[in-house]
Amino acid sequence: MRKLDEKRELLYVIRTMDVLMSSGVGLEAALHTIGKGGYGIISEDFSAMMKRLRKGNSGGLGPELKSQMKIAESAGYKRLLNTLYTNVTQNTDLVETLKKQGTRMEEDRSEEVEKYIEELGGVPETLLSIGMIGPIILAIVGLVPQLMSGDLGAFMSLPEPAVINSVVNIGLVVTLMGMALIGLKAHTKDPGL
Amino acid sequence: MIFGFLESFNDSALLLYIGVIAIACAGGGIPPMLERRRRRAIENELPTFLEALSDSVGAGRGLQEAMMEQSEANDGPLAALLGETLKEGHASSFEASLGAFAAKTRSSQVQRVMVLIETAIQQDSSLRDILADLSRDYERLNDLMNRRESELQGRGILIILFVSVGLPVLIAFIVGLFAPASKGFQISSFNQTFSYFFAAASAVGVSVSGRMMGRFKDTLWWLPMWMAVSMGLYLGAVKVVGG
Repeated sequence: MRKLDEKRELLYVIRTMDVLMSSGVGLEAALHTIGKGGYGIISEDFSAMMKRLRKGNSGGLGPELKSQMKIAESAGYKRLLNTLYTNVTQNTDLVETLKKQGTRMEEDRSEEVEKYIEELGGVPETLLSIGMIGPIILAIVGLVPQLMSGDLGAFMSLPEPAVINSVVNIGLVVTLMGMALIGLKAHTKDPGL
Repeated sequence: MIFGFLESFNDSALLLYIGVIAIACAGGGIPPMLERRRRRAIENELPTFLEALSDSVGAGRGLQEAMMEQSEANDGPLAALLGETLKEGHASSFEASLGAFAAKTRSSQVQRVMVLIETAIQQDSSLRDILADLSRDYERLNDLMNRRESELQGRGILIILFVSVGLPVLIAFIVGLFAPASKGFQISSFNQTFSYFFAAASAVGVSVSGRMMGRFKDTLWWLPMWMAVSMGLYLGAVKVVGG
């Protein structure tokens, strides 16, 4: 969930930092502005970081950014934090790097959406295969004790109806779980637009 | 006739409960749909609007003047809402009007743009470049969102139709033809099990379909309706075919 939230907000954070820092605002002030809210989980992270810095409990902005890198889950957010850390330690051209990173993030996002659409192409077919074939077979299995009663029952011995009912019930639950697991792909692979 | 129809489902209390919940939830499901349509119309107009603002600001107009001109020159929900807000906001500051406009659109895209514009004004940044960049960013974002929706909508509908409509009717025909209740087959327990399964399968199918299109929460309002439809179709078709 955190990874998805990070991916969803990251590009906006980069663009805002770009605007702020191109106008001459310092890095700490830019982090403080984003920490004030509007950028979801990244705002929360930056706000907590600024609070710790104000209290004086940390070793400065550099170590704070470094420890934040360990918490970050998405590659893009880690890259942004690393860029900020490098700027703090080596005085790099942050605005230029942010611009490049923004462009790269946008390209990545487009690729991820294309990949998502492509990967979900097979989901309906798989979902329908499991969701339709399973119940059809189980319905026939469930009807066997009724259909094979009377004279037909003399030709072959059938399990107890309770056993057949249990098999059908378990089969239906497994089918549902299979459908849910296939559908989970739609959630886990979401590009976070 | 309606009471007669409902009484034929007296044995399946869950279907009747879900049916009532579905009617109530359908009332809650319509406003998000209308709201979404309005919001997407505003968001799709945003890049063109920002580009026009960038050009006007580049030509030497003030941002407020450029916004007023664009709101008058264009039609559509974004221009209308902006014009209305700017006229209403004569007595307050321009920043307050921008904030009110962003809140009225109820669009996170517009709200983010307005926050950035406000920041740029406060920091005295080059508005022309920022507006042009934002226009490009949001055009690409909206293209992606529209593409995702158009490509996945058909697949989402396919899942719902097959799982909630096709499958219950198909199984009901198999059951009704091979084990009709009118010929003494004891299938009430079987029917109950399968009707619960179809309700659950519909819930899964509708949720997956909603998530694919990126509107899971809006789809949840329609979940009881599809559950009731699949249960009702199965039990109804079994009765019709098997007696």
